Amino acid sequence: MELAALEKQLRTLQTESIAKIGAAETSAALDELGSSLLGKRGALTDLLRGIGALSAEDRPKIGAIANEVRAAIDAALSDRRGAAGAAELSALIAAESTDPTAPGPLPQLGSLHPIPETIAAIARIMASFGFTVAEGQEVEDDVTNFQLLNIPEDHPSRDLWDTLYLREPGRLLRTHTSPGQIRTMRAVQPPIRVILPGRCFRYEAVDASHGFEFHQVEGLLVDRGTTLADLKGILDELARGLFGPSTRTRFRPGYYPFTEPSVAVDVSWGGAKDGWMTILGAGMVHPIVLENGGIDPETHQGFAFGLGVERIAMLRHEIPDLRAFLENDLRMLRGLR
Amino acid sequence: MRVPLSWLREFVDVQLTPEQLADALTLRGLEVRGLERWGGNWGKMVVGELLEVSPHPRADRLQLTKVRIGKDQVLEVVCGARNIAAGQRVPVALVGALMPDGRLIERAEKMGVASEGMLCSGAELDATDDGDGILILDAKAPLGTPISDYLGEDVIDVDVKPNRGDLLSLLGLAREVGAITGSPVKYAARKITEGSSEVGDGLKLTVADPALAPRVVLRVVDGVTVAAAPDAIQMRLKAAGLRSISNVVDATNYIMLELGKPTHAFDRAGVGSGIQIRLAKAKEQLETLDHVQRSLDASDLVVADERAALALAGVMGGASSEVSATTKSVVIESAVFAPTTIRRSAQRHSLRSEASHRFERGQELDLAPLAADQVAALITTWAGGTVRRGQLDSDPKAVGQTRDLTFRPERVRQLIGVSIPDAEQTKLLAGIAISVTEAKGATSVPVTSKRTVSAAKGESLVAVVPPWRRDLELEADITEEVARLYGYDRITPTLPGRDLPGYLPQPTALRDQVRASLAAQGLSEAVTHALVSPALSNRHAEPVALVTGLLAEREGAAASETLLLSNPLSADHDKLRRSLLPSLLDRAEANLRYGALSGALFEIGRGYGGTKGGPTEWTRLGIVVWGEIAAAAPGGTPRLWDLDELKRLIASVASLCNAAPRYLPLETGDTTLLHPGRSARATGEGIAGLIGELHPAAPEWRPSPRILMAELALHGLSSGQPAVRRVLLPPGTPPIQRDVALAAPAAVLIGDLVALAKESVKSAQSVELFDLFAGGGMAPGERSVGLRFTFQPDAAAALDDAITAEVDAFTTSAAKRYGTKVRGAETQ
Repeated sequence: MELAALEKQLRTLQTESIAKIGAAETSAALDELGSSLLGKRGALTDLLRGIGALSAEDRPKIGAIANEVRAAIDAALSDRRGAAGAAELSALIAAESTDPTAPGPLPQLGSLHPIPETIAAIARIMASFGFTVAEGQEVEDDVTNFQLLNIPEDHPSRDLWDTLYLREPGRLLRTHTSPGQIRTMRAVQPPIRVILPGRCFRYEAVDASHGFEFHQVEGLLVDRGTTLADLKGILDELARGLFGPSTRTRFRPGYYPFTEPSVAVDVSWGGAKDGWMTILGAGMVHPIVLENGGIDPETHQGFAFGLGVERIAMLRHEIPDLRAFLENDLRMLRGLR
Repeated sequence: MRVPLSWLREFVDVQLTPEQLADALTLRGLEVRGLERWGGNWGKMVVGELLEVSPHPRADRLQLTKVRIGKDQVLEVVCGARNIAAGQRVPVALVGALMPDGRLIERAEKMGVASEGMLCSGAELDATDDGDGILILDAKAPLGTPISDYLGEDVIDVDVKPNRGDLLSLLGLAREVGAITGSPVKYAARKITEGSSEVGDGLKLTVADPALAPRVVLRVVDGVTVAAAPDAIQMRLKAAGLRSISNVVDATNYIMLELGKPTHAFDRAGVGSGIQIRLAKAKEQLETLDHVQRSLDASDLVVADERAALALAGVMGGASSEVSATTKSVVIESAVFAPTTIRRSAQRHSLRSEASHRFERGQELDLAPLAADQVAALITTWAGGTVRRGQLDSDPKAVGQTRDLTFRPERVRQLIGVSIPDAEQTKLLAGIAISVTEAKGATSVPVTSKRTVSAAKGESLVAVVPPWRRDLELEADITEEVARLYGYDRITPTLPGRDLPGYLPQPTALRDQVRASLAAQGLSEAVTHALVSPALSNRHAEPVALVTGLLAEREGAAASETLLLSNPLSADHDKLRRSLLPSLLDRAEANLRYGALSGALFEIGRGYGGTKGGPTEWTRLGIVVWGEIAAAAPGGTPRLWDLDELKRLIASVASLCNAAPRYLPLETGDTTLLHPGRSARATGEGIAGLIGELHPAAPEWRPSPRILMAELALHGLSSGQPAVRRVLLPPGTPPIQRDVALAAPAAVLIGDLVALAKESVKSAQSVELFDLFAGGGMAPGERSVGLRFTFQPDAAAALDDAITAEVDAFTTSAAKRYGTKVRGAETQ
């Protein structure tokens, strides 16, 4: 074959290919064109099969021309691919678009109950002061619930606790978490730092601020040289931890048979209710109670406190009625989260 | 105790406002529960002067009055009372006044005459019990002054603690107020004039057991006229919260409030010739003042005459000797009784009175003769008569003694944490009539009721405790007094040194993790009653007995019996729950009633039971779920709670506790709470429990939404601690999955197949059920079970032959044991 004729064929292929490429609409069509023109069995390869008939001096010439043709087709393909790809991407995005202003389905969020949450909050605060957590038994006996706590039988102070008794003589439902003080002291050697949260029971008519089942957290610290001033320091921190850093506290004398001196603690934190709210009772562990716990009151001393969880939760969450805690209405529980 | 402040001021000067006094008392340990203006509700009522009283032209029962209530203000008021006359000052309720009984005073026409208000009786004001006549005021009562200012009274309500019986009196409270303000206590006993007859003339006194009645004093007043007490006294008692009865009875109550000493007045005519203080005979009868016939017990102390019991000593008088309008002569009994005896009697007869309240807290011996005289003095003042000469006194030598209480001022400082010098401690104690002296030499200091320690010379002081402070017995009691009087507000807070680590221990930390996980999965935490009703607890035996396995056995739940209360508040709460499920189901029901068509609740709480070794308690996770897990996306379908979703939830919790549950079928008839075809027992290392859908025959069942529940014992939730997991770093090769589809007869349990697969293919990291269907090409009575084994080989293809061998061993065993056939296998 003549050099000129082959060159003409190559140039024709170039012109026709570029026209075809220009007319192609999709990336898929361009891919097909690419392989039919430049592939192993494509048109360009087909034409170059005739190169063997050329003279040795013409071969390099036609090779150079073929490279030019290949480059031109390649460039055209590449150009066209860019344009088609952009259009296809826009079409894809357009086809897949949704209205972004739809609010989206809501998750079913669960919630934690304010009573265990309040206990957990107290546990976290007290843990930072080295207090561990233990849980006593709720079915107690008269000896541990009362007598060992310096509340003898027939003493008028028993009137402070209306008690639910089991049918078995001497068994009762603990009226407070304080028997845990005795059980802890008998089980653990000082230094003792522990809180004892749990359910308590009293023979008490139910109203907005009383229930026959409620929760307390007992705190106990027994060491050498612990003072009433230490009690103030720790309870100040607890009050601030629960009600915020600007909480003020007021300590005033109280009466509990198992502490001496006894303390009642009021807080004021600018919550919904103004003024002083009593949140807990406390005091230095009575020497008789230390003795009953197997601890020498001459070498060790300490303090104890007991707080009503419901009352704290009511104040923190501004819940006006204690009965709501046992109602377990999902509308309220989910509202608290 | 309600304290009218005008009365308190008779015993001590109070310069403070009522609010300041209330705060000061509260800060010194006498908690003031309330502060009120008694009579503060007498709005639009003023002091008026009667200018004219004339007959009503048309009604004999009525009179016309002209009342001046201010300089130029004269009202015309029609009045029905007969005790009025011109010149008297009276309370006038103006038009618009709201009477205590709720009546509104309006301009009214009474038999043709206009009335511009109302003249008030004591009863209409709820100030005295006199409803017959108008309350006649002092002639100097300031005209036009609001009645609430003139007759009203500031009253503080002090919460007297059980150890301070001495504060159940104005005199006792005055001592405390005096300690705060520094003012001296003023008390002057009233003088009595005795007549010529002797008290012992025709009356004897015997005390059977002085231990039960250490001192008894009798006085007799003859010739009394029983009537209403003076208006001012009635009002004062009313303000203090007591009802006015008669001048004689009011005299005893007045002295009880003044001195804290209850006394009793008997009609002399109802008393024989001898008064005995003795224990009752078994079944002895007594009609008490409340007209209840009481059958006495041999441990009740009575005041009796030679014939019969007259009064339940220290608790309540008897009807047969009650002072009445016909009483001419009275016997005043003023005694000190053993506190425990009185407390038990009052409890036994469910009869708590103002008197028993005080007797239970102990009485000062010296008050017995004093109160007898004071009551006699008041009776002669208010009811006339003559006091007989002398007292009958069971033991004149039983007098109040001061007690020496040694304490170490250094210990006081050590306990309070403030350096209060000896001199200041002494001064503080002196304020409450405790004098402090130097100890002479070494002393013995009472630390507890069983133990004293010796103090070297110079280390201790002696507090001389007055007889009314029966509560001060130990060194610690003195510490409290010093701290209280020093003022808790003056103690500088400190933080105790730290030698213990601060971290949350198990089970608290794990429990909080489980709670948080469940909340994150959409469940709401609940707290339900531990005390439940028979209706709920009747279902308890079933779920509790079904929670079996090592964990449950260790807790003793299954073998325990329901614990019952002996004094339940109501039949709805008379048992301790053994299972959480009935209470949770009850709360699900309540929420459904409130319109929550979907919901999920959980509780970590206790069950309780009795065993031979005593009561036992265990901790469970209870779950109840119903309806949708979450709302569907718009146009989509919601996921509903079913057994699979519940198992997915449980798997997440079990994973936190390092537990892996396996589900076993319940036996038919095991439970009426759970659906026999949709329930299972969960067992495995660290887990025991049961799950299921509510039984279709249960009253709470409905076609939709279905209610599902679970109760689980989990290792680490109540005790124990899941081990920290060890983990192997994964090699750089991807895991291999081998899927096997078996055709299994429908009766073959999937749980059994999976268990066999796990047991046979030991090198698999997990075995999952990924496909399960019947029909669709399966022969009738067969199901297709797709199991996916996941392996993590160290090197690619290294285990291929071993895997094939293990899986083949499984399919062979399954074929042999359960009659399954391999439908296909594929490796990925």
